[in-house]
Amino acid sequence: MNGLASRCSMASMFLISVTACTSQPGSPSSSASPAGSQGMLAGQSKMDQVLRGRAIIVSNACGDCHRGGSNPAAPGWLAGVTSRADSFPVGPFNTFPRNLTPDSATGTGKYTERQIFNALRYGLRPSVTPDVDITGTTPGQGNFPATPHYLPPSMPWAAWRHMPDEDLRAIAAYLKNGLKPVSNKVIDSQEPPDHWAAAAKEAGPYPTPAHPTASETAVNTAQVMRGRELVIRKDCGGCHGGGPNPSMPNYLGGMTDPTGEFQIGPFKTRPRNITPDNTTGIGRFTERQIFNSLRYGLRPGETPDVEITSIVPGQGNFPERPKFLAPPMPWPSWRHMPDEDLRAIAAYLKQGVKPVSNKVADSEGPPDFWASEYTVEKIGPRPAVPFPTANERALR
Amino acid sequence: MINRSKAPRTVDVSLVADDAQLALKPGTATAVFAYNGTIPGPTLEVREGDRVIVHFENRLSVATTVHWHGLHIPFDSDGSPFHPVEPGEKRVYSFTLKPGSAGTYWYHPHPNHSTGYQVAKGLYGAIIVRASDDPIPASVTEKLLVLADNRLNADGSINLPEKHSQLHQFDEENGREGDMLFVNGQLNPAISIRSGEIQRWRIINASASRVYRLAIKGQKMIHVGNDGGLFERPVEVDELTIANGERIEVLVKGTGKPGDRTVLQSLPYDRYINQTRPKDWEVTRDLVALTYTTAKPMSMVAVPASLRRIPALDSTKATATRVVVLSQGMINGKKMDMNRVDFSAPLGATEIWDIENIVGMDHPFHLHGFQFQVLSRNGVPEPFPSWKDMVNVPKHQTARIIVRYDDFPGKWMFHCHILDHEDHGMMGILEVK
Repeated sequence: MNGLASRCSMASMFLISVTACTSQPGSPSSSASPAGSQGMLAGQSKMDQVLRGRAIIVSNACGDCHRGGSNPAAPGWLAGVTSRADSFPVGPFNTFPRNLTPDSATGTGKYTERQIFNALRYGLRPSVTPDVDITGTTPGQGNFPATPHYLPPSMPWAAWRHMPDEDLRAIAAYLKNGLKPVSNKVIDSQEPPDHWAAAAKEAGPYPTPAHPTASETAVNTAQVMRGRELVIRKDCGGCHGGGPNPSMPNYLGGMTDPTGEFQIGPFKTRPRNITPDNTTGIGRFTERQIFNSLRYGLRPGETPDVEITSIVPGQGNFPERPKFLAPPMPWPSWRHMPDEDLRAIAAYLKQGVKPVSNKVADSEGPPDFWASEYTVEKIGPRPAVPFPTANERALR
Repeated sequence: MINRSKAPRTVDVSLVADDAQLALKPGTATAVFAYNGTIPGPTLEVREGDRVIVHFENRLSVATTVHWHGLHIPFDSDGSPFHPVEPGEKRVYSFTLKPGSAGTYWYHPHPNHSTGYQVAKGLYGAIIVRASDDPIPASVTEKLLVLADNRLNADGSINLPEKHSQLHQFDEENGREGDMLFVNGQLNPAISIRSGEIQRWRIINASASRVYRLAIKGQKMIHVGNDGGLFERPVEVDELTIANGERIEVLVKGTGKPGDRTVLQSLPYDRYINQTRPKDWEVTRDLVALTYTTAKPMSMVAVPASLRRIPALDSTKATATRVVVLSQGMINGKKMDMNRVDFSAPLGATEIWDIENIVGMDHPFHLHGFQFQVLSRNGVPEPFPSWKDMVNVPKHQTARIIVRYDDFPGKWMFHCHILDHEDHGMMGILEVK
């Protein structure tokens, strides 16, 4: 994927403070009935599906680009960017994270849940892709458009598509049914004449390559295999190397050239080697230290290998002066995953991936190691504020 | 220190730690801690084979210890946190210096969690152990340079920032550094040298965290020794890096003309993590003016080509290889616990330690009780053997050392010698029994 440039711009998004939502409540959302061939219909099961979709969105950092971070109570939650300055340059093209709320005129209101599913699974833009079940991936076959129009590469659909059908449907269900519509017309993204078809060819194999690839060990415990699924679906490789494709060389081995850097205000963040190499990777960190990184954002090189039971500095083993991973590492979203999922990721990184020797230069950052950016006020609480927040609507 | 003993080969001295008022900065008075009323404390000068008895008295209002940094002496005289001397108490430190131990060492407090504070307040001093068969000609003038930076407030008081202030945070991260670079308690002192003369400089870095890249403008130096004494052979160098806690011995040749002036400088050295690198780290700082007398040049004495033999410790005898991972404020992912033994080894065993620094700032590593030899740095074999009790492990680099636990059982500390790091638990315990 032609994703590096876009990731750099993602980084620039991080420090944009989320201002109060200026959008007006929009027209009622589409009253389209739940779509998708296996869509749930009503009542409690629909509620379950919406809550599941919400949990996935909260823990998948959708709000890092589409606004609101991992906090459904944040102003402008998922309502898209509001300024031309918030573009993600992908090569020469400016892309703009869209309004995902179900507003008919400016959001996803006109699309069915099946179209959103197709966007997440195949990267197909819902505005130009028919509302049909798709059974193939070759253009022109199995309802796959002959001339596909893809989402820009900054949207990590190439990773998201590895989620199971029910997870993608749950996301669509939440966007369509669990959110209040917000009227916010986002500037149309620019794109190349092939509608990102060339970029889509670099999205890696689907489904996931058989285990183990040349980058992986033979360890295949249930925990490691669960971690593998999550590392692929969360697109860890999107920044740390190899994308959602464990058969890539330097998979998770960290950035290899300056195009992988993120400019965060005046500082450069460099995605590090997260393979278990002792010298250049995470080989000397325990799985608990990695867990603490994903749950609390604590830098493993600066945080003791202890169980943490608090987020109050100085209490429950939480460091008196916490030092956080540099943005755009989306740990504020990852922290919402269940313990067993975070432990599975740690197990996969430590046991399931072969070490790669690649020394990535240290990231830069402010003297407080981002502590002032990672207050509960700024990133929201864990667990997330209960459904529905002011941005959300109770199911009818 | 004045030797009160009449007995042969016995040095019996008194050392008192007490509050004092000293003019660290001309025109001001600073409330300090001082050994025998001076900063640095008095130099302990002894000879190999001497029995040393130090009658120490703590007149401070806080517990302290005296750690005899680098000396191979019994555990109960090591002055580690295991043996605090409470306010008003006395303690006798007693040890005999082994043959081959001639070199430059230093003493300083080592109480749990407040070494940095007490050194900042002024507690540090030099130790010189001499050999009867020293190969450097006795006609060579000797100079002692104890380097220790500090930071004072405008009123002369020692600057110790409020907890949680940004300066305190920088101190915790980098180790406390000061803008005043004292040499033997003086700012920018001068050393006089005659053209053609050779001087032997013993240099101790007693700073809490500052690393000095030393160079004499326009002159080379002859590096003849480090922590544990002389090398086998002299080495000519343009500059030398001395981390905090380390010592070096150099021969300075008076290669200038009568009346010349030059300067010993500290060149920039980037030991810092990106987030807290000081803005002025690239400043070159003058330490000592080197002034040539107007006397006509003297004929230069010959520097011996061979200094002494240093038997290399035999790595085939090593019975264990330890991995010591240095991260920020931790060793092997752990903070210091006085009730925990991190490594246990039999008396007399030879072991290899692989010291890996996995974070982006230097950590100068110190082992108590035993001199060791560096086998390699980053896998590159050390060019020649020497005795060390410190090894600076630069950011993201490794060092492999070999050590033999001779003579003295006990619980020996190993730690980062950035005093703030040590005080925050970047320390472990090796039990030899």
